[in-house]
Amino acid sequence: MGNSKLPDIIESFSDARKQGFINMKNLKDSGKKVAGTFCTYTPVELFMAAGMCYVGLCSTSDETIPDAEAVLPRNLCPLIKSSYGFAITDKCPYMYFSDIVVGETTCDGKKKMYELLSEIKNVHVMQLPNSQKDASSQDLWYHEILALKDRLEKDFDVIITEDDIKLVIHQRNEERKLLRKFYELSASIPPPMTGLAQLSVLFGSQFKFSHEDKMADIQAAIDKYQSAHASGIRNVPETSKRIIITGCPMGGVTEKIVKIIEEVGGVVVAFENCTGAKQMDVLVDENAEPYRAIADRYLAIGCSVMTPDENRYELLKRLCKQFQADAIIEMTLQACHTYNIETHQVRRQAEKMKVPFFSVETDYSTSDVAQLKTRIAAFIETLES
Amino acid sequence: MKKYTIGIDSGSVMCKAALLQDGQLRLTKTCKTSWQPQKTALELAESILETQHIAKKECCIVSTGYGRERIDFADKTLTEITAHALGGMSLEPKIQGVIDIGGQDSKVIKLANHKVDTFLMNDKCAAGTGKFLEMSCATLDIPVTSIDSFLTTKEFAAINSMCAVFAESELIGLLSSGIEREKILNGVIRSIASRIVNMLGKVNAGKGDVFLMTGGLSQSQVMVNALNEVTGCKVLTHRASPFAGAIGAAISGNR
Repeated sequence: MGNSKLPDIIESFSDARKQGFINMKNLKDSGKKVAGTFCTYTPVELFMAAGMCYVGLCSTSDETIPDAEAVLPRNLCPLIKSSYGFAITDKCPYMYFSDIVVGETTCDGKKKMYELLSEIKNVHVMQLPNSQKDASSQDLWYHEILALKDRLEKDFDVIITEDDIKLVIHQRNEERKLLRKFYELSASIPPPMTGLAQLSVLFGSQFKFSHEDKMADIQAAIDKYQSAHASGIRNVPETSKRIIITGCPMGGVTEKIVKIIEEVGGVVVAFENCTGAKQMDVLVDENAEPYRAIADRYLAIGCSVMTPDENRYELLKRLCKQFQADAIIEMTLQACHTYNIETHQVRRQAEKMKVPFFSVETDYSTSDVAQLKTRIAAFIETLES
Repeated sequence: MKKYTIGIDSGSVMCKAALLQDGQLRLTKTCKTSWQPQKTALELAESILETQHIAKKECCIVSTGYGRERIDFADKTLTEITAHALGGMSLEPKIQGVIDIGGQDSKVIKLANHKVDTFLMNDKCAAGTGKFLEMSCATLDIPVTSIDSFLTTKEFAAINSMCAVFAESELIGLLSSGIEREKILNGVIRSIASRIVNMLGKVNAGKGDVFLMTGGLSQSQVMVNALNEVTGCKVLTHRASPFAGAIGAAISGNR
């Protein structure tokens, strides 16, 4: 980057992200290598064991979508278009700084976008199986984990020892446990923080690049909300309807959903999606063979790209109970076939649980805020009676 | 509980108001929303208070509709979905749902236990809304207020386009090939009705379910008939249907 002008986009980042950019530049200048990731299935322990930093590349703004649409079809997931757009315009510093980009064959759109991305970046695509419980899928994923290990060792001239991997498995488990402790604060009635505040910490934690910094920041957030709540400060009215968010990844412009919910009498108490519980819910078994343990834990993540997707329904059910949800609100992105089709099944599951359910489909623009507000407000009005 | 409640439904085309006294409907009033929805809503509310000799403090004002949030003199707001449900049930108590075809949106509301159960809104696309009818009437040179008297036949020319903009081209094509305007207009009406069929399917409306039509198009018997023929539901209308949203908002004022 050197003396080149910072892109305007940096001003729209939250503080954590802006600071993350600066930290990133410093880290690179000090010789650290960076892995860019796109998915909760990515086994980040491998990057940690290789002494690398890792950062999520899922873009959250529509700024570069017009650039992406010169090559990608318009009728495509906005996250895919946006991320690709940021890559080809050099507007995302994390994409720019990534020495390797690791993707998975999660959905059709991502699969094909990675082909184009590999023309301009060093891309490694992992073959994510379509199902989770059968032995051949589990073996496939195990071998893909080993293949990634080999790739990192080769590209970055490192050796990942058994001690290295065991240490970082433990560290990442500690991070998960602490993030869980943080978001579980909202199980109380009323929750000590708004969904927006929770999302800001969950989303922002991705951009802290040292284990120690991450742990310290999350602990500081826990302390802050616990002590405020204990001293009687109430950030959320008792009457707010408790909402669990599910569906596609949320962050940046799609925060509009959380903002709207919290403007019309709701409060988001938990996120089942990528930004939340999905990532933290399960730990890697520290007593099993490390690569097998990593493979098994990651493959078990519930997501609509899996068929069948029972683990997602199971997590949703558990979260509804734990957080005493009044309702589930799902956000799907336009052209996301797996989530959009799965809505029907989630609705059935919600009916079984007797939890009211509502789904909205949106994109990365801000032009549908009024329409979303009418729908979400009307849904919350049905909870009032 | 206040003696009077006024519901203001600030729509994209028309602003509607309803006055309730002790929970009973006293009067309704409407005027064009114009490019100043807030001012229009305020004038409408004030004219009611003045002509009925009601002091503002005796009255709870509830706003609904597209412009509801900008009506800052309202005591409460309510989404048009809940408002149309409440208003619809007060006009026709034994309904299973409400079909609202407005100026720029359409919605289908399914009721259960006298409450909103599920709903579907189309506010992203002109097809299936009053806007499509308005555009078509302009192309066919038929006043939109005279469609019932204009149509003397039940025959219709099928409109195939999903999109109102493309449908306009289709209309012009049909005119050039000599198809009578009545048949084309009937086709437009059926096209609007078929969008509603699609929405009814998504909210699990049952065959024979009773729906009340609300919104501006509820006053066209041709539209009501088309819905009855095409949907498989029993679709009613009511003289006060265009005010269902305002009435519903007023009802919620005392809850």
